[in-house]
Order: sequence, then C-alpha cells, then structure tokens
Amino acid sequence: MSIFVSAVGFGVASGAVIALASLGFTLQFGLTNTLNIAYGSFITLAAFVGYGFVQFGLSPWTTMAIVAAIMGVLSVAYYGGFIRSLIRRSIGFGPLAIATAAALIFIEYTIVLVAGTTTRSYGLTSGTTYHLWDFVWTSTQVAIIVLAAALVTMFQLGLRTTRLGRALRATAANRTLARACGIRVERVSVGAWMISGLLCGVAGVALAMTTQAFTYNLGLTFLIVIIAAAVVGGIGEPLGAVTGGLIIGLVTQVSAAYFNPAYSDVAAFVLLIAALLLRPTGLFGGQARRSNVATA
Amino acid sequence: MYFATDLLAAWGLNLEYGVAGVLNFGYIACVAVGAYAYGVLTLPSPAVNGNYQHYVLGLHLEPAAAFVIVIVVGCVFGGLVGLVGRHRLRPDYQAIMLLVVAAVALAVSEADTALVNGNPGLTLLPNPLGTTGPTAGNGWVYVGILLAICFAGYFVLRRFSDGPLGRSLRAVRDDSDAALAIGKDVVGLRMLAQVVGGGFGALAGGLLAAFIGAWAPSAWSFSETLSLLTAVIVGGVASNYGVVAGVILVPVVLQQLSQFVPGLNTRPQLAADIGWMVTSALTIFFIWFRPTGIVPDRRPRYGVGRHRRVWSYAPEPANMVVDVPVHPPVSRATSPMNADSGVSQASLDAGAILTATSFALPRRPGVPAPTPSFAGPLLEVSDVVVRFGGVRAVDGVSLQVPAGAVTGLIGPNGAGKSTLVNALTGFLRPESGRISFNGQEISDQPAHRRARAGLVRSFQLSRQFSRLSVIENLLVGRQSHPAESALGIALGLRYWKQAEVENVDRAWELLRAFDLHAKANMTASSLSGGERRMVELMRALMTEPKMLVLDEPLAGLSPAWARRFEEALMQLRSSGIGFFLIEHELGIIERQCQEVVMMARGRVLSVGTMEELRMQPEVQAAYVMG
Repeated sequence: MSIFVSAVGFGVASGAVIALASLGFTLQFGLTNTLNIAYGSFITLAAFVGYGFVQFGLSPWTTMAIVAAIMGVLSVAYYGGFIRSLIRRSIGFGPLAIATAAALIFIEYTIVLVAGTTTRSYGLTSGTTYHLWDFVWTSTQVAIIVLAAALVTMFQLGLRTTRLGRALRATAANRTLARACGIRVERVSVGAWMISGLLCGVAGVALAMTTQAFTYNLGLTFLIVIIAAAVVGGIGEPLGAVTGGLIIGLVTQVSAAYFNPAYSDVAAFVLLIAALLLRPTGLFGGQARRSNVATA
Repeated sequence: MYFATDLLAAWGLNLEYGVAGVLNFGYIACVAVGAYAYGVLTLPSPAVNGNYQHYVLGLHLEPAAAFVIVIVVGCVFGGLVGLVGRHRLRPDYQAIMLLVVAAVALAVSEADTALVNGNPGLTLLPNPLGTTGPTAGNGWVYVGILLAICFAGYFVLRRFSDGPLGRSLRAVRDDSDAALAIGKDVVGLRMLAQVVGGGFGALAGGLLAAFIGAWAPSAWSFSETLSLLTAVIVGGVASNYGVVAGVILVPVVLQQLSQFVPGLNTRPQLAADIGWMVTSALTIFFIWFRPTGIVPDRRPRYGVGRHRRVWSYAPEPANMVVDVPVHPPVSRATSPMNADSGVSQASLDAGAILTATSFALPRRPGVPAPTPSFAGPLLEVSDVVVRFGGVRAVDGVSLQVPAGAVTGLIGPNGAGKSTLVNALTGFLRPESGRISFNGQEISDQPAHRRARAGLVRSFQLSRQFSRLSVIENLLVGRQSHPAESALGIALGLRYWKQAEVENVDRAWELLRAFDLHAKANMTASSLSGGERRMVELMRALMTEPKMLVLDEPLAGLSPAWARRFEEALMQLRSSGIGFFLIEHELGIIERQCQEVVMMARGRVLSVGTMEELRMQPEVQAAYVMG
C-alpha cells in the first residue's frame, strides 16, 4: 500500500508539471489550431536558460519568474513572426506541422551549439522532506504542486471573469464568429501564445528542477507526454489538459513503481493511443472525429 | 551508400506523405523495424556468441532470404500502423498518433533488453557479401548492388505513384471526403501507401544495418524522420525524381558528409550540428517559399504536344478541333459584370448550349445506361434518425426517390437537409432507420461502397482535387479502374491501357459538352466557382452513377452559371439517372422537379409538386417562421 501511496505522491508532483506544460500546449492548439511540435524545444530552451541563471547564482524561483517572462516574449515572437505567417499562407495542416517540427530541430541544435550535448543539472539539494498523510514530498515538489495549483486556478478564474478570458473562449469556440462579434482575434491569439509561453517557461524550469539531469533532447520525449495529457483530457480544453496531466503523471509513476521503470513513458503513450482510439474527443469533449464534413 | 538507402526510405515516405498525404512522423520506425528484422533473422542464436547480446529469434538465415522477409515485415508493420487510419481521425490526431507509435516503438526497443538488446542495440550483424565487419574491402560492390536495388525499386514504386493509381492516391491526399464521395476507398488507398512505404523503409533499414553491421535505438531518433521529410519537401513533394535531388542534398550532403568536416578541437561535432540546423532551416524555407520543391510533381498533360506518356493519350487530332457551340456559351466574361444580359440571352437558348455539342452522356462501351434492375423507387429511406447530442437533426425521415427524374428536397435552414444527405451517402451514421438503394439495403455500407453502388453526391461547397488538373479531376471518377486492382499493379500498363484510353475519351467528351475542354490541363484550384461546380458535376458523371444527390448546387453561383447548371441538369434528366436535388432556390425546383419533399425541423412535412406544396399552410408557416 505504501508503495502505491508514495507513487501517487510522485505522480501528483510530476503531474503538476505536465499539467502546466500541457495547458500551454492545448492553448496554442485550441486558439490557432496549430500542432506546434516545437513546443517541446521551448521546454528545453526554458530549462537551459534557467540553467544559465541558476549557474549565475540566482535562486531557482527567481529564475523561474525570469524564464517565464523570457519564454512569454519568445513565444509571441515565434507566433507573430513564424506561425502566423505560415497560417496566412494557408499551406495546410501537414506542412505547418512539419515546419514546427523543423523549428524543433532548429532550436534543439541551436541549444547544442551554445551549450553542447553534456548532461546538465540544476544541482539543487532536495531540501526538507515533508510527510503529509502518507505522501512523501520534497519541499521543491510541494512548492511546485502549490504553484501549479495556483496558476491553474488563476487561469481558470481568468478564463471565466476577465475580458481576455472570455475573448479567448469565444475565439477558441469559433474564430470567424468571434471576429464578426468584434473580438480582435489576432490580439487574443497573441495573448494566448504569451500565456502559453509563460506556462512553458514555468513548466520547463520546474521540470529541470525535479528531474535529476537533462540534455538538449529533454523536450522531445516530454512533448509526447504533454500531447498525451492534452489528448487524454480533450485537446484544446484547458481543464482537460490539467486533468490529463494529472492522469498521465499518476499513470507513469504508479506503473513505474510496479513494473519496469523504463516503461513508465510507454504507459503514458499507450494510454494516449487508447484514448485516441476509444474516446478521441477526450474526457472534456472537443471535436476529434471529422463531423459535419459536408455542411462546413 | 547512404544515398541509396536514404533514397529508398525517402521514396517510401514520399509515397506516404507526398502522394497519399499521410503525414507519418513515425516513418523512421519502419526503417528501424527493417534493420532489427535483418538483425534477428541473420544473427545466430544468442547462445552462439556466449550470450554477448540478447535478442529474439536468431534464425541465422542467408542475408538474401532475410531481405525478402524484411520487406514483408516492413509491409506488415506499415499496414498495422495504417490501421490507425480506420478510425477516420482528424489529420492532426492521425499525425500525433503516428508520432506516438514511433515513440512507443523506440521506448520499447530501448527498455526491453530481451527483444533487440535494449539501448546498446544489435552488433556483429553478418555482412550480406559474406565477409565480416563493415566494408571489408568490397564496399564498392555493395554500393553497386544497392544502386541496382534502387533502380529496381524505382520501377516498383512507379506502379503505385504514377498512372491512375497515383492519381487516385493524390485525390485522397487533396480531399479525402470528395474522394470518398466518388467511391474511392480512402482508408484502403492510404493503407496501401503505408504498406508499400513500410516495405521500402524496412528494406532501406535492413540494407543500412547490414552495411554498418550494427543497429541501435540512437540511430533512429525523430530527427531522422525529419531529415527524410526534408528530402521530400526540398526535392519535390510527390515527385520521385525530385526526391532523388532532395536525398542528394539533405541526408547525404548535410547529414553524412558534414560528419567528415573537421570540427574544432573542442567541438568535433560542430559541422554535423550545423548540418542539422541547415536541414531544418531548409525545410522551413521551402515550405515558406516553394512548397512544391525543386522538382515539382509534374502532372501529365492531355492532348497537347507529343504524348510522352501513354496515359496522357488524347483522341485523334481531327477530333480535337472541337465543334464550337453554335451559340456562344455563357462565359465568365459575361457572367459577373452584366449578368442580366447574359441570363436573358442564355434563357432564349435554354438548353441550346448542351444540345449544340450534341450532348450525350458518354458511357463506357459495354456498360448499359442505368436502368433500375428493380421495379420500386431507386432510393428508399425509412424512418432515419440522426442525433447530435440531444438534438434530433433528422427525426424519423421516410421518403422515396425514383430513377430518371429530378426529385427536390426543400426546407428552411436547419431543417436537416444536409444531415439527411450525409446520412444517405454514408458520411454520417444514422442512429436508426433503413436506407435501401436499387433494391439493396445499404444502411451499413461505408460511403465509398454506396458511391460504387451508384449513389453519388456533391457537396454544398464544391470540392475538388486542387493539385490535380481539371481533366484528372474527371479521370479520377472512373469506378474500379483496372489499374487500381492487384492485377493492374502487377501487370502494369498493358493491363489497363485500354481502360484508361476509354476513360480519357469519356473525359474529353464531357469536357467538350460542358465547354470546359480549353481548361482541361489547368490545375483545378485555378478555376472559378462556377467552373468548379461544373467539374464536380462532371466528376460525378464520370462515376456512371445511378443517382446523383446534389447538395445545394446553386449556392454561391452567379445567375449565369446557375442557368448553365440547370441546362445541364435538363439534358441529363433523359439519361436515366435519378436526381435528388437539395436547393434553396425554389425556381429551379419548380421548373425541374416532378416531386418535391419538404422538410422542417428534422421531419418530412409534406410531399407533392411544388404547386401543391405552395398551397399548404404548414409549408408556408415553416418557410416564413424558419
């Protein structure tokens, strides 16, 4: 039983990071209908930029705030200078996805060029260990869980109460209609990519803090975990991404505790495939199957 | 050496992505499967080497035999991955799925040490030329054999990527719904591309592993797929020759040769890293500025110049001087600007345009005009229900549509007309109810089967295969083309030449009858809205349908084009085809339809002539109230 409980504890901790990253990913997808494969390299980039600041002597939390800001700006630049232009060329889904995949490789090797292929680590001490009920968490993990919960709550509240939040939901639901209603969908999209960049920055640094070590290809494997979370929850659905993140975190950690740990990611991927085949709309709806083809 | 294996792999990927439009981010898994298969088939049992490495099988086969099995394994793997397509997921989900399948394969091969030795991978693979170790003196012989294999591979590839089969695959790529609507087995065609692509990938992987003598998970990361995709995109999407150029440039020059560029002392890998950056930058550059690649996919031109390809055959030049219509057709020049004069002139010659070119629906020899083999109505619908969530969009509709007449379907917006069309033609699965066509129950048949049975639809927003030419858009319509059969692939041109020649003849006849022959070789995406509508109608006619379901064919047409469309419809009425015409424009309904079905709120409100319907208060109410 205690193996299970501690695995659940780890699952929640890693699920919190996945949830943040997945929330950012799902936002890009929901607002601009872009399968942004380069998101994985943005996570890596955040981890490496954060590494620079940590080496410089900043505390990881200050680092996280700075990196989040930087990633927010970079994400907007990436959207405005790259994705938007490609969408306007209406090149179709496939080439767009390939272009983002190429961007992933480009960013990855830029990182290699600057930082090399050596394994890096923030080298944080694990801090005090907390025993809450039967769970065992390090102080870092607790802080990240609390932070993630706070960010998700803020995001959800913002989505319901602020003007930008309402505009976001409207644009995601029907871009053309939103535009016709006087919503500046371009600004809303830029806002969404900024928020997603912020979340990506936080998640990237948090991921680097909780993993022992990472290299330049941290992002690609993690990307598939992120996508798995987003799809399990229903891609484009913010709440789904968060729930999906927690589910994926739990599944990977619990399966790692009971089976071969090398298979923990496989468990997540298999869950993703099952989700796609059995319930492609995810837990929280969304439209995965091609419906209304002829009435469009 | 790398050129040859990369070329085979890139050709396979090009067939999947470039030709059939399957964005296979996990393609490299096919290559890896081939490499591992070669390994476990040719290696002796693990115990022979003192359990130095662990793997399954260890059959110690002859390399030549192993390669045959490798190809088969690759085809099976490609097909298994292709099963994903059966679920008709959105293309983005499908791409995710294929990416994940490769990730699972990679993770399993890394984690499971008993399968293919886990992370370190397989080594000591036997060299196919008998010597041990890589390139032991006979490297050039091996390269020669590889180039010969590529040469042979090209002729196999052509059977799939060119000719009528390649045309159908491209149609599926450009618009899978429109392809379904004319009876193309979209899932099957994509699967075929993935099976063949998988075979090519596995062969490439097997040859590569045999040459290096080793294979490990690190050899097939995601970036390798991107490198192959770049070769396809830079070289020329769907163009086999282009891919040759792309492979020379991208995987060979940028990936392999860059490894021999001396790096700085501290950074031995510098050139290779920059090679990757250039590769990805090139991908983006080409997608941005030249999405067709260096050597674009050249479509055969029909009836112009010398016929370099047999299937660009055109009728005798004497025939080609088209009998110009007596009355000039309503052209684009007259339609938008002075539509009034165009209409009035055209209305004087109602029907003249098509009769002037002695319009008769061209048929394949030996195929009789569609006469219902069964006495009752051609299409019979009883009690069909379609539900979206809580809304019953079609709520127990029963109706009958006869052959050889135009039956109308009208109703206010949201009445469920388009939903009914989707249910009839197999694009939506009704919750309950029976649909029978030509005396046969078709309720459970997929869309392409229904189209093959002769129930063909058009779309409210006309759809075309935008990267194919106009005449190819028609040629695709041919049902069960012998070139698309297993025998056609095996025997090639000899087997299907006659059928294709007849096919091209029919297409020309239709194009001339519709006065669009001058645009035959233009790409479909360059047509105007009215022309697209006509192309869609012609393509449907090419399938030799028994019934055409036209979903608001006049929507968005200028009055002149609407008139042209109606004239075509009038001419076609006598051909025996049954028409089911869904339209908001009640004028055409009144003029053309003997019987009109009126729907509102998912139900059939009334059936009768337009005149009768006009008198009924509930019909008036439904139209006024919406």
